[in-house]
Amino acid sequence: MTNEVVTVQHLVKTYGKGNEKKFTALKDIDFTVENGEFVGIMGASGSGKTTLLNILSTLDKPTSGEVRINQQDLTQLKGNQMADFRGHEIGFIFQDFNLLENLTAAENIALPLSLQGVAPKQIQPLVMKIAKRLSIESVLDHYPTELSGGQKQRVAAARALVHQPTILFGDEPTGALDSNSARELLETMSSLNRNDQVSILLVTHDPFSASYCQRILFIKDGEIGSELRRGERDRAAFYQEILDNLGTFTE
Amino acid sequence: MLRKLAFSSIKSRLKDYVVLFSGLVVAAATFYMFMALATNQDFLGKNSMLSANNTMFIFIFGAILLAIITFFYLIYANSFLLTMRQREYGMFMMLGAKTGKIGQLIFMETFLLGMGATLIGEVIGIGLTQVVARLLVQQMGLTLQHFNSFYWPAFLITLAFFLVLFIFAAIWNSHKLMKTPVLKLLHSAEQPARTQVKPIWLAVQALLGVALLAAGYWAMINIALLQLLAIPFALVTIVLGSFFTFNATFIWLLRLMKKHRSFSLRGIRNFTLSQLNFRIHDYTRMLAMISILFALALGAITVGLGFRNDLSMLIDSFDAYDVKLYTHSAKIDAEVAKLDIKEQATYSYKVKGKQIYYRQDQLQDQPLYYFHYQRSGGISMQMPQRRRFAAKDYQISRETPNGAVQNAYNQLGIKSIYDGNALTGHLVTAAEFARLPGKTSRLTLIRVRDFAAARQKIAKIEQAQLTAAPEFSEVLENSKYANAQMGTAMYSGMIFMGLFLGLSFLAMLASCLMFKILSGAYSDVKRYDMLNKMGARTSVLKASVAKEIGVLYALPGLLGIIHVLFGLQLFKLLLLNPYHGIWLPFLIFLLLYGLYYWLTVTLYRGIVIPKVEIDK
Repeated sequence: MTNEVVTVQHLVKTYGKGNEKKFTALKDIDFTVENGEFVGIMGASGSGKTTLLNILSTLDKPTSGEVRINQQDLTQLKGNQMADFRGHEIGFIFQDFNLLENLTAAENIALPLSLQGVAPKQIQPLVMKIAKRLSIESVLDHYPTELSGGQKQRVAAARALVHQPTILFGDEPTGALDSNSARELLETMSSLNRNDQVSILLVTHDPFSASYCQRILFIKDGEIGSELRRGERDRAAFYQEILDNLGTFTE
Repeated sequence: MLRKLAFSSIKSRLKDYVVLFSGLVVAAATFYMFMALATNQDFLGKNSMLSANNTMFIFIFGAILLAIITFFYLIYANSFLLTMRQREYGMFMMLGAKTGKIGQLIFMETFLLGMGATLIGEVIGIGLTQVVARLLVQQMGLTLQHFNSFYWPAFLITLAFFLVLFIFAAIWNSHKLMKTPVLKLLHSAEQPARTQVKPIWLAVQALLGVALLAAGYWAMINIALLQLLAIPFALVTIVLGSFFTFNATFIWLLRLMKKHRSFSLRGIRNFTLSQLNFRIHDYTRMLAMISILFALALGAITVGLGFRNDLSMLIDSFDAYDVKLYTHSAKIDAEVAKLDIKEQATYSYKVKGKQIYYRQDQLQDQPLYYFHYQRSGGISMQMPQRRRFAAKDYQISRETPNGAVQNAYNQLGIKSIYDGNALTGHLVTAAEFARLPGKTSRLTLIRVRDFAAARQKIAKIEQAQLTAAPEFSEVLENSKYANAQMGTAMYSGMIFMGLFLGLSFLAMLASCLMFKILSGAYSDVKRYDMLNKMGARTSVLKASVAKEIGVLYALPGLLGIIHVLFGLQLFKLLLLNPYHGIWLPFLIFLLLYGLYYWLTVTLYRGIVIPKVEIDK
C-alpha cells in the first residue's frame, strides 16, 4: 500500500499541433508527493511550473506519461469526470485570489460544497468550522472588495479546504500579499500541514515562501534539476540553503 | 504595422465581429425598409385608411421611434465593440503606440465597420422590401399600389442617419479609449461593489412600482372614463412603474431567493442569483425600456393582425347580400352557376319616369335580410347583426314608408341613393303592379356561403354586368364587392405598418439586449474560469449561463406581455375585438424573441465557458 497522493512518471507536455512549431514545456518529469507532505516546486518564469500545475489539476492534458492523484490516473478521466475530480480531490489557492466578487466570503467558501451537492443544511456548519480554523469568522458577510489582501487569501484558502481535498495546490499564493500577510498565510499553511495533515503542493519562485516546505523540487526548462530536503533544520537555515542552491541552479 | 496588428486581432475574434456586423446590417436594412415606406407618399396615400397627410404623420412618428431605438441599438453595439477591443488597444498603448495613432485606428475601425454595414444593409433592405412586400401581398390578399422597393430619398436618409451616428460613435470610442488610463484598459474586468440599498427604501420602491403599473393598467381599461387623458397618464405611470419594478421588485425577489438558503445553496444557484442581482442593478433602465418597447412591438403586430381580422368582419357587414344581378347574359349566368349559393331571391320592378314600383307579395314571400345596428353603449366598436324582416313588415301606406319598406327601396334600388337622380320607391300589390304600364325588370339578390372564397368569381360577374349594362354602373360601383376592394386597400396599409413596425422593433430591441449582455461577457471570463477550476462541470456552467440570460430575457418579455394585454384595451376604439386570435402574433413574436435568446446564449457561452484542453 503506497502512501503517495501524487505520482508523476515520465510526464511530457508538447504544445503545437500538426505542422505548427512544436514546443516541449515538460520533458520527462518524475516525482511523488507523500500523504501529509508539504512540497514546493521552484523555478523561474517559463520553466514549466504552470504547465505542470495545470496538468496536475486536470485543466490540461499531458502529451505522454502518467499522473496519479490519490491512486486515480488523471489521463483516463474524461469531460465531467475531470470537473468532478477537481471538485472533490483538489483545492486551489491562486496569486490573485480568484474570489467571485459578487458573492460574500461565506458564499464563496460554500460554493465548492454546493457544487458537490452537499445538502444546504450541512454547508453552514462546515463553512463556520473552516472559517474559525483560518480566523475569518468576522468577515464572512463581507464582499471580497471590502477585504484586505491577506483576508482575501484566507477566504480563498478556506474555500480551497472546505471540502477536505486530497491535496492543496498553491500557485504563488503569496505573490500579491505584503510581507506580513504573506508570513501569516505561510504560517497558517504550515500549521494546516502539521496539525491537520493537509498535503500541500506549493508552486513559487519566492525563496522565502519555499522555505516553509519540507522538500523542494527545482524545475528548469521543463526538467527537474535538483531536490532539497529540510529535514530537522530550522526554517532560517533552510532558507539560506535555498538561496545558495538557487545561485548555483540558475547559472 | 499597428494597422496590421489591429486587423489580425479582428480575425481572431471573427465570430463576435460577424455578429456585430450582421446586427448593424439588419439595423440599416430595417431602417431603409421603413424609410422606403415612410417617405414614399404615393404608397401611403393609396394604402392607408387615413388621408395621406395623416398617414405621413403617423409614419414619421414611427420613424422617430425607430430612429431612437436604432440610436440605442448602436450605443449598445458600440459598447460591445469597445469592450471587445479595449484590452488589445491597451496593449498597443503599453507597447508604446501613440495615443493619437490609436485614436485614429479606433475611429477608422468604428467608422468603416459602420459604413460597410450600412451600405450592405441598404442593398439587403432594397431586396427585402421587395420580398416582404410581395410576401405580404400574397399571404394576406392585400393590394399594395405604387410600391417601389428602391427609393432614392429613403436610401439617402438612411445613409445620412447612419453616417452621423457612426461619426459620433467613432468619436466617442476614440475619446473614451484615449481618456482611460492604460492600466484600466488592461484590467477592465469590473469590480461589482456591494449594493447599498436600505431594505425600507427597496420595499417602498417595490410597492411603488407595482402601484404605478396598476394605475397605468387601470387607466387603459377605463379609457371610456378618462378619454384621451388615459394615454399620457398610462404612458407615464407604466414607464415609471416598469422602472421601479426592475429596480426594486425583482431585486427584492432575488434577495428573497438568496436568503432562502436551502434553495440558494444548491449547486451553482447562488452564483447565478448573484450574477443576476449584480446584472439587474446595471440593467434596470435597459430592462424597463425593453419591456416598453417589447410591448410596443408586440402591440403593433397584434393590432396589425387585428385589423386583418376586422377586415373580413367589416366586409361582411358592408351589405346583407353578396351579389346583386341587375342584368343577364350567357357569360353572367355561367359565372353565377359556379357560385356556391346559400340563398337567392328575385324581385320584379317597373320604372315609370322618376318612380319605381315593387311587388308587396314578393317581399312578403321572401323578406329581405338586413343589418341591425345596436345603439352603441360605450365607445367600443360593435358589429351589426344580420336579421330578416317579417312578411307583416311590408305594409303599404300613404304616409312615409316604414323601416322595412324604406330598406327594400334602398336594397333594391337601381340608382345610387347618394346622387340627386334617385328614384322614388313605391310598394304595390301584385294586381296593381300588373296594371302598371312598362316593362317588368328583374333583380336577383344572392347570398353565397363564403364571400372571401367567392371573391374572384364575383369580380368576374361584376365586370360582366358593367360591360353588359353600363346603366347600372352607379349601383355596381357601390356593391359589396366594390366596397370590399376599397376596404382591403385601406386596411392593408395599416396591417403592413403594424407588422413591419412590430417586427423591426423586435429585431432592434432584442439585439440591444443581446449586445448589452455580450458586452458584459468579457468581464465574466475570469469568474467562469474560476468555477471551472473549482470543479464545476461544463454542463453546469452552461446551464447557469442559460438561466441567467433566460431571466434577463424573460423578465422584460413577461412585463411587456402584461403591458400589451392591458394596452389592447385602448384599441377597443378601433378594433371590433382586439383580443381575437392574439395567440398568433404572440407565438410569432415569442419565437423570434427566443431565437435572439438562443443566439445570445450561444455567443456568451463561446466567450465565457473555458475550453477543456488548453491550447497555446
